[in-house]
Amino acid sequence: MVKSEIKSIEEIVDMIAGYKKVLNVGCAGCASVCLAGGQREVKQLNTKLQFHFKSNNISTTVDEYMVERQCETQFVESLKGRIEKYDAVISMACGAGVQYVAEHFPEIPIFPALNTLFIGVNKEIGHYEERCQSCGDCVLGLTGGICPVTMCAKSLFNGPCGGPQKGGKCEVSMDIDCAWVAIYERLKKQGRLDNIHKIYETRAWKSQGQGTLTLKEYQ
Amino acid sequence: MSTEKNNPVDHKMIKELLDEKKSKMKLSLAACASCSLCAESCFMFNIYDQKPEYMPSYKVIKSLGVLYRKQGKVSRQTLEKMGDLVWKNCVLCGRCYCAVGIDIPEMLAFTRMICRSQGVDGVYPHNLGAPPAECEALGSEN
Amino acid sequence: MYDLARGPFVWVAFVIFIIGMVYRIIQINALIRVNENYKPSKVQQKKPAKKKGAKEPVAPKISADEIALQRILKFKDSLLYKHPVVAIVSFIFHCCLLIAPIFALGHSLALYQSWGFATPSLPDGLIDVLTILVLVGGLFFLIRRLMIPRVRAISSMNDYLLLVITAAPFLTGFMAYHQWFDYKTIILLHLLAGEIMLITIPFTKLGHMVFFFFVRFFTRSEHNWGSGKKGWIV
Repeated sequence: MVKSEIKSIEEIVDMIAGYKKVLNVGCAGCASVCLAGGQREVKQLNTKLQFHFKSNNISTTVDEYMVERQCETQFVESLKGRIEKYDAVISMACGAGVQYVAEHFPEIPIFPALNTLFIGVNKEIGHYEERCQSCGDCVLGLTGGICPVTMCAKSLFNGPCGGPQKGGKCEVSMDIDCAWVAIYERLKKQGRLDNIHKIYETRAWKSQGQGTLTLKEYQ
Repeated sequence: MSTEKNNPVDHKMIKELLDEKKSKMKLSLAACASCSLCAESCFMFNIYDQKPEYMPSYKVIKSLGVLYRKQGKVSRQTLEKMGDLVWKNCVLCGRCYCAVGIDIPEMLAFTRMICRSQGVDGVYPHNLGAPPAECEALGSEN
Repeated sequence: MYDLARGPFVWVAFVIFIIGMVYRIIQINALIRVNENYKPSKVQQKKPAKKKGAKEPVAPKISADEIALQRILKFKDSLLYKHPVVAIVSFIFHCCLLIAPIFALGHSLALYQSWGFATPSLPDGLIDVLTILVLVGGLFFLIRRLMIPRVRAISSMNDYLLLVITAAPFLTGFMAYHQWFDYKTIILLHLLAGEIMLITIPFTKLGHMVFFFFVRFFTRSEHNWGSGKKGWIV
């Protein structure tokens, strides 16, 4: 899922400076799963903000609310009737959620409490790793399940550069494993090394610009 | 979902699936003290007027608990009600906590897996009607 | 009947209790393993490059305000904040539940009578107070289970029965000590109630006695209290 992490309290306080009634909306989707924007984090952020306001004699109030996901119309619209009472909103969702809420309620300033980091995996509670950069042209079938876009420092597609150092390390840094060495090992284990011998045309990995997707059945 | 009303529930398959995690699930169900202290950990309980049907313990006891008690011998109607319970009353955000330490999200995910094995799945989006006809035909695994 | 309850049944109850608890402990341990995923994956491990001559980063001093805030946050996370009455009553109930049987004079004497050594005991008046606290706690839980809709919604016969099973030894013990009604009957009931409770502990929710400790201290989760390197096996 999309992994995010919470911004520093100073940055959040700066963002909502001057507003009197603030609503903190959490997200029970990706943000909850990576322990960044769930119900507990909303309450903790509110406690921190209230503590800060009290110690600095600021009269801002912060309320809390949660929605299932902020990237979905029906759940964002459920904020109607509640959100209008506030001067500003802190959203503890990923960038997509923040924007969607802002889109639905354009008169109210929406502030992000999280920095959205990557699409990644939940290895263990609190340990998240990036695995996908949503390039739009997945080649994982050819590389034995290791993404050359994400895991290779140069996102190379047709094998390693001339650089891998001893121990299969990337020439960029001895701390990084060469993704193509890993791909080689993986394909060898599966007996599919001929994948490496083939040369593939360059793929149309996603260009800049907003992506859209409309499923056939819903056109 | 009229195509599935005529399909009987495969009790043997459910029993086999239940047996896969019997040790952990039965231990968890036995350890549940029905204290309801898990309620506040579920945001749905908090935002939907604190109704007991949103309590994590309720969701588990009335779905997985029933499955284990009846050893998988449930009717399709019961299974569909369970499906409603674990898909509409839960988003599997995984943040529910238990005072005694039971792993609730796993129990809910397990229940979903069993429901899916019988063709009972979460209809998406939950309250905006059925999916188009093509997808419906693909849904049933029986 | 008294001889049976005082003799063989005690053996049976304790043996079943101990075997049951050992079984539960083994079962829980079999379900918890050190989770290999705990380590970062090998493909990409980035460490920030160390510049030559750079000083080691100094940890910023934490102000008193910060410490206070951390404490408040921790407190707000706890059950004591969210359910103060239940947390306090439960704590007192459980403490008294454990202390009273172990240090009751009557039990020490019974042990001395059977095996020749006596465990230490607390004053009778204190044990009386602890027993009453257990009974009051039990009553509180019963009323809570009957009156509060969300607890009633998940309560079954099992829950009410176990409350009775847990309260019975303490009630009969109290009555026996104060020699209410017919002593011989009450003491027999006390023995049987205690034996029934011991037998039911490993096989019902009363087993949360060990379950709680193993999970809370050893498995990884948001709310665990120990080092938590182990996780549930899938």
